[in-house]
Amino acid sequence: MNKIFSVARMEILDIRRSKLMLSLLGFFLIAAIVSVVVASIDFGVKADAYKTYTDALAASGITNPATAPQLFPLHLMRAAIEYLEILGALFAIILGYAAIAKEKQRGTLSLLFTRPIGNFTLVLGKLGALALVWLAFVSIVVLATMLTAVIAGHAQLSATDVGRLLLTILGAWIYLLVWTAVAVSIASTSKKLTTALIVSIVLWLLVVLVIPQVGDTMDPDNQVPGGLFKSLQIAKPDETAVLANFTGYNSARDALEISSVTKHFERYTFAFLGIKDQYNQQPIGTVWAGVFINALALWLFAIGTLVISLFTTKPKTLLRTSK
Amino acid sequence: MKSLYVFTEKSICRLSVLSGTRPYCDTMNEFAIVTKDLTKSYKDVVALENLNLSVRQGEIFGLLGHNGAGKTTTVNLLTTLLVPTSGTVEIEGVDSSKSAKDIRKLIGYLPENVQLYNNMTTMENLRFFANLSGLKKPEARIKEVLDYLNFNSHYNKRIGTFSKGMRQRVGIAQAILHNPSVLFLDEPTSGLDPEGVRQLRDVIIRLNADLGVTIFMNTHLLSEVTKTCSSIGILKGGKLAYQNSMNSTLAEFPDQDSLEDIYLSIETAD
Repeated sequence: MNKIFSVARMEILDIRRSKLMLSLLGFFLIAAIVSVVVASIDFGVKADAYKTYTDALAASGITNPATAPQLFPLHLMRAAIEYLEILGALFAIILGYAAIAKEKQRGTLSLLFTRPIGNFTLVLGKLGALALVWLAFVSIVVLATMLTAVIAGHAQLSATDVGRLLLTILGAWIYLLVWTAVAVSIASTSKKLTTALIVSIVLWLLVVLVIPQVGDTMDPDNQVPGGLFKSLQIAKPDETAVLANFTGYNSARDALEISSVTKHFERYTFAFLGIKDQYNQQPIGTVWAGVFINALALWLFAIGTLVISLFTTKPKTLLRTSK
Repeated sequence: MKSLYVFTEKSICRLSVLSGTRPYCDTMNEFAIVTKDLTKSYKDVVALENLNLSVRQGEIFGLLGHNGAGKTTTVNLLTTLLVPTSGTVEIEGVDSSKSAKDIRKLIGYLPENVQLYNNMTTMENLRFFANLSGLKKPEARIKEVLDYLNFNSHYNKRIGTFSKGMRQRVGIAQAILHNPSVLFLDEPTSGLDPEGVRQLRDVIIRLNADLGVTIFMNTHLLSEVTKTCSSIGILKGGKLAYQNSMNSTLAEFPDQDSLEDIYLSIETAD
């Protein structure tokens, strides 16, 4: 156990001293904070426009204006979550790849594996360190964005909101762990490090960008801005009846979407933050019931990729592929 | 710096004068390294074939051979970095096929072109390797080893700022931290300037004399072998073509002027 801690401590120290890594994480944090500031300003603009509108209506003697725009503080985090979904995954790949690639490039593997360490010591230490880094990073990002929302957006957080944020941190942490483990596995098993990086990036493109985009594009309701059924003024029961004729098509679309861990992460976080309308202001229990399958999928992806990384990052594989 | 040896009926204990280290006791084996029919193949290519080698306790053994003769493969097999296709390796009587982890406790290893963690200090690097070797709170031991290698003034400097020769010293330090009984050096003088070569040679000889460490080294520099090694082996096409003590070798080839001539005559012989 002490040897695993030693590897983890060395990895954290290495990341702390890497200007590139710190720059990437710092850039992300700033981008997330800016996104909340922009969202807060955007809400302020809408609120001002509404006030101008109601004043104009009142001047005309109309007293039943449209519903006022309502501030849901957690909605201000939407862009930050999308950054985690896309850029966070990319950074997780870079950190996971670097954890293995630097050992191969430096030629330190032979020094490590002539020590009396177990087969899993190196990978457990590396993954443990990266898990800690991501937990700290996600917590800082979520905390910083919420503080920004409170300060810049004058948002007020309830105890339930804090619970939602904690669940969001947990989901984001697991999501980043999945990508880290994927990158570790690919870097370990690839003979050429450039190949490992290219394969990891192609996988990221497919899973993070292409598959969710194709899934969204295949959604019949997304064919028209504002929603196909809404624009055709088709009520919900009729919509369900229409979609019943396309079960095969919808199953294919669902299968495509659930193959992407990113889609599960998005559904999970958007539900808990209330960004998805059907879960907005719903009790946590209700949201949990709705996204249980996505939470389970996130865990299964994490367990699966971590187990694969354990068995692909053994001394035998690393030494064979570092020649 | 000297070591005190205590001989008992079944063991030899080395009480190193480096403080903080426990007495190192070995089962008394005549040979520190023994290989039997050691073979390593990569698909159809035989890199090493039926190597039968024995290195006595306390020797400095030099393994010579052209590029591709199988020297690095041999070191990798002896240090458990590679698994033999067939045959056995015994280090201090421990069979590598049965307990590679136990062998790793007995050996120190300095690879060719040693690479360490450049953005870490000497102390951080050595603490890491000491922990992996199972040493707890190794700071005192690290300072002692650096002192022994006349390197303590670089204790808190980052490896990235070091010359090749300085890195090699840290490499030696990491290899001897845990008081190994056999030290493997793969082309230790590769890339060093003449001053660096001389310093490293002095360190190797001192380590052997002071601590009684058996040293196994691969090298191309025959002049270094002459000055350093007490016995040699010559690999040719993955097979051991010759093995003897340095003195016997020189006596065996009286008509040859130098080890270089002896080496070339063995290399070119059918």
